[in-house]
Parts: sequence; structure tokens; C-alpha cells
Amino acid sequence: MILEALEREGVEYIFGYPGGANLPIYQHLHEFPKLKHILVRHEQGAAHMADGYARAGGKPGVVFATSGPGALNLVTGLCTAYMDSVPMVAITGQVVSTQVGRDAFQESDVIGATSSVTKHSYLVTRIDQLPRVIHEAFHIATTGRPGPVLVDICKDVQQAQAERVTPERLEIPGYRLNGHVDLAGAEQAARALSDAERPVILAGHGVILSHAETELRQLAEAAATPVGTTLLGIGAFPVKHPLSLHMTGFMGTGWNLKAVQNADVLMMVGMRVDDRVTAKLADYAPKVKTFIHIDIDGSEMGKNVRPHIELVADARQALTAIQPHVGNLNERRGLWLTQIDAWREEHPLRYRRSNGQLQPQDVLIDMYRRARNEAIVVADVGQNQIWAALWWNYDRPGLFINSGGAGTMGFALPAALGAKFARPDLPVWCVAGEGGFVMTAQELSVAVEHQLDVKIVLLNNFSLGMVRQFQDDFYGGVRSQVDLTHMPDFVKLSEAYGMPARRVERFEDIAPAFDAAERTKGPFLIDFRIDPEANVYPIVPLGKSLNEFWEAPQQ
Amino acid sequence: MTDKIRILSVEVEDAPNTLTKVSGAIRRRGFHVRGISVGPSRQPGRFRLTLQVDHGHAEADQVRKQLERLVEVIEVEDVTSDDVHSRELVVAKVAASELDELLRRGAKVLSTAGDGTTVEFSGDHAEVREFVAELHRHGIVDVARSGPVVMRRAR
Repeated sequence: MILEALEREGVEYIFGYPGGANLPIYQHLHEFPKLKHILVRHEQGAAHMADGYARAGGKPGVVFATSGPGALNLVTGLCTAYMDSVPMVAITGQVVSTQVGRDAFQESDVIGATSSVTKHSYLVTRIDQLPRVIHEAFHIATTGRPGPVLVDICKDVQQAQAERVTPERLEIPGYRLNGHVDLAGAEQAARALSDAERPVILAGHGVILSHAETELRQLAEAAATPVGTTLLGIGAFPVKHPLSLHMTGFMGTGWNLKAVQNADVLMMVGMRVDDRVTAKLADYAPKVKTFIHIDIDGSEMGKNVRPHIELVADARQALTAIQPHVGNLNERRGLWLTQIDAWREEHPLRYRRSNGQLQPQDVLIDMYRRARNEAIVVADVGQNQIWAALWWNYDRPGLFINSGGAGTMGFALPAALGAKFARPDLPVWCVAGEGGFVMTAQELSVAVEHQLDVKIVLLNNFSLGMVRQFQDDFYGGVRSQVDLTHMPDFVKLSEAYGMPARRVERFEDIAPAFDAAERTKGPFLIDFRIDPEANVYPIVPLGKSLNEFWEAPQQ
Repeated sequence: MTDKIRILSVEVEDAPNTLTKVSGAIRRRGFHVRGISVGPSRQPGRFRLTLQVDHGHAEADQVRKQLERLVEVIEVEDVTSDDVHSRELVVAKVAASELDELLRRGAKVLSTAGDGTTVEFSGDHAEVREFVAELHRHGIVDVARSGPVVMRRAR
């Protein structure tokens, strides 16, 4: 009955792991050839694969796990999806309903453990609840502000027989969808933007989730307003567009931060305005007279920054409603854009490359030269993530995938595999540091088993680079527990899994290695031994305002 | 009560996880429950919670907004500044037999036995606070208090 319901929801892939409490589901899996099950090597991998699948393909990711440890291994993956508003349905086995609460074998309170990292969850103890619950779970996961939904199903329910029922019309009294745009607010926002002397738009993940990139570009052009994106908003606005401010936040570009800190009107679209965006909140965008906030989740209004104009709505609908009301622009707009161009010249992205070591930026630049905007990059967390965010010129949504809110190390490899299942037509690159990579490296088996054409770019500095950089810069230079000298030989490790790999230590070997990777069908790993002292710049020191960003030292 | 306290009347689904989810959302956002009462609502399958919540460093309306995100929560009404009846209940066991002052305030005797008398009293927050102070003078053996139950005044 569960599998039938999944088929009805249009599910193609399930990422899962069997165990005692979900055996009845697995017993019947082979009867549903439309459902392709991917056997992961750890449940966390299943959640991240489903996450990458959802972000790359736009369909909800589906996960199976058994009770107790199986379900609890999903928690990090659910949290990652929850923080980044990714649609996912996790179906976990629970002990027989009459055993619940008796500390049965592999019993755990999965609803309790996952409540804070799911959009919604259900415990199913009776077969008659099942069709409605599964239908609701998909509806809730994919609508409004998307998120993971967990369905915990007792084993006796999985075994029960029942009449086949198609779920009735959805009726969820406590679930409201915000869609309609307050037209007066939209007009007000358009007027504020037109009248502004120094306006800035910032775009977050919500713009991508609502497919509002075209509307965003049209509004930006009509209102001659520069646009920056958050880390998760990358792709919402083309990086090479003349109005682009590239990435904002405490590791954002210098010209972006200058623009935000000098803006008089700031429109924030589909974003949470979190601490990584604002840095020191009290000094955030201090010259702004009018904050405009657009988000589909009303609880985001005033959570961090109190807006003067708020639109609780889908980003695309809101931007569509605003644009026609953009009127005569403030005559000083030209000066503002000229100023931004000057800041762009003054604070370019740069990196040190004079010490003879392999620089991660050189690796990424070569990659981008090959892939352009026809590949998906899935980054892990840490320095590798920010380098991959800043050094590619993403021109559309869906090409850059990373764990922004939760910052989950180990995300990249399984998420890249999931992305490849969703988009077999696009090259998929996994960019990771060696620290995060070993956290979920067991999923290499999945890459080899399915001969997934995913290229793994390991930016290996034999240390926890971001933590090392923070210790150097903000914690008195005391390097504590960041040394990762003792790591496997990644070429041999790949070969042990049954896939080719090679090591690169010199600049001139970058291109031949990528050539080899591109010639190879199926997974391929390149272990780039990068400069262990390479840092992420710009960076705002912890606790400081965006004005105080540090830049890379001059050559 | 400080001005950081919001009083919310919350209509919820009668489901096994509802209370966990409501209290989880409150804890997670750094709010603190000062009073709570739960009972069936007019509609079958739904309950009404009355919550007194300290919203800490967050904006006052965040409590309502965060609760509204829960699928189990059907409606949240912030009744903090509204013209409402807010009633609380006390049941207490007192040692003394001199109960005149308590009875004068409107207490009702529920039972009397060798080890004392059990009384009940209901009133608004201030009345209940004064009643409890009076109980202290009578030697409380045990006291149980409810959270508030709130209803808009008839107009």
C-alpha cells in the first residue's frame, strides 16, 4: 500500500536502507518496477542523496530507513534539508504498534528526535490513515516553503491488508499557503525602489525555489537596481550581469558589501537574513531607510531585520506584481551604478599565487573554463564551498548545490550522486575538502555500482582549512585539532572502491587531470594537493560589521 | 507580569504529537512557557491551548508566527492586550479550621477531614495571587494551580 501510494505520487527514485522494522516494504519492492531503489551505504547518505536529487531535479527526494539507529542516522540529512527548504519525504519503519513505548529492539522516538528538523511528521499506527498521510506528506513537503516531512510507520501497519483507496481531497486545516500578493504593498515596494537613490536587491534560495529568476532580472533591469545573492541564492541572478553584486554576507564580495552598507533601500527576496548574511546585526545596512522583505514564510518577517514593507508571498508572484509599478527612477541612480562599478574595480576577487603551491582557485578556474554553465557543482562545507561559490560565474539556478544553512560536512558526495540521478543529462562535479569527504566516503560504492558519471574534485590541504583559518585569524593563531595528515591515500582508496583516480600537485598537471576525468565514463576522483595555507577572502572577522571585511593580501 | 509575556489562545488538532510540537517550537525559539492550560474546544477533534509565553529577545509576534507554522496548529489568537476574561483555578489543602477570610474572598470548601480542609478558588491572575498569599497565612499543606483560561469579553 505504501509503495502503491509512492507510485501514485510519481516517485521515480528511493534512496534507502532496509532493516528489521521496514522489511515488509522491502518484501514487495520488486513488484513495483517504476520505483527505482538505490541502496546506500549509510542512512545519512540516503538523506543527502535525496536532497541533491530534489535540488537538482525539482522533485521531492524520497528516503527509506528502518527504525531506531536507521531513522536516527537520517537526522543530520533531515536537518540539512530543513535549513535549506528542500522537499523530501522520509519513510521510516517503526516497531509494531503494540510494542511502541516498551523500549523494544531498535525502537526510538523518531518523531520526537526529528520534530525540530522536519516541516511536519506523522506516526502511522493504523492502516486506514496511510493513504491520506502519504498524500499529505508529499503535498506539505513540496508546497509553500518546501521542507522534509517524515512518516514513521509501524511495522504491523506495513503488513496490514486493506482495501485500495485513493485519498480524498486534501483537507489540512492547520496548513495555510501564502500565495496572494498584497497589491498595495507591491505598489509601495515599487515606489520605494524607484525613488531610492542607492537601492540594492538581495536574492535568496526562495527566488530559485519559486523559479523567479526571469522576473528578478526584469525587475532589476527596469529599476536599474544592482542584485546580490545569498550563498543559497547563487544562480538566481547571472554573476556576469552588469548589475550583479555576486555573493553577499560575511564571505561575500567587497563590492557587494560596500553596496549593502551604503544602500538607502534594501529589498530582500526569498531569504532569511541570517547571521551569515548580516554579520553584526546592529551595524547591518545602517543607511537603509526602507527595508523591503519578500518571503513566503511570514515568520521570517522581523525575525532578524524588521522590514518597513513586507510581502508574505511567493517570490515570483511578488516580483511580478511589483514590476509594472516601477516608475520614473531617481535621477541619481546613474551615480550609484557608477559608484558600484568603481567598487567592483577596487575590490576584485583575488588570491595569492606567488608561493609556487597549487592554488584551489586555479583548479576551479580551469574547471569553469571547461564546464561553463553546463554543469552542476555540488560543494561540501568549508573553504571548498566558498571557493566554489565565488570562482564560478553561475548564470542560472540549479547549477550550484551546497548545504548553506546547516553547513553539513559530508554533504557533497552523496548529494552529487543524487543530483546525477536527477539530471543524467548534465555533467556533475563534486567539490569537497578531504575532511568532509571522508565523513560520507562510503557512498563511493553507490557511484561505482551505478557507474554514475560524477567527477570528484578533492581540494586536499591535509587540514580542516576553514577551522584552521578561523584559528589563525580570530583565535590567537592557536592551531588546535585541525591537522589531517593521517588520511587515506585517496587514489588507492578510489581504486579500492573500483574507480579510477589521480593525484595532482602542480599547476601544470591540472589540465591533464581534468582531461583524463572528462575522457573517463563513470566516476573519477582527482586528489588536488592544494596550498595548505590558502584562505578564503574576503572575510568579515567574527562579530564585526560588513564594513570591516578583509581582502586577500596583494601578490 | 512583564511586557515580555504574550497570552495566546491556540486552537490545535487533537493528535498525539501536538503538545510536543507546540512546546518544542516554543523551546527551540528561546521562548519560555509561564502558564498553560489545555482542554477540548467546541469542535470535536480539536483542543484549545491557552499559553502565557515569555518571548525573550525575539519580537513579540514571533511566538504567534512560529506556532502558526506548525501543521497541527489551526489558529493562533494573540489576546494579550485584548479585553478578555482570564481565569485561573487554585485547589489548596489548608491546615487551619478558621476559613472565614478565604470564604469571604469566594473560596468554596470541597472537603474537610482530620488533616485539614480542601478549598477551591478561581479568579483573574491578581485575585489568584492575593488568594494564594492569604492561603500562606492559613498554613498551606498543598496547593495546585492551573494556567489561565481566556475568553474575549462579550460586547
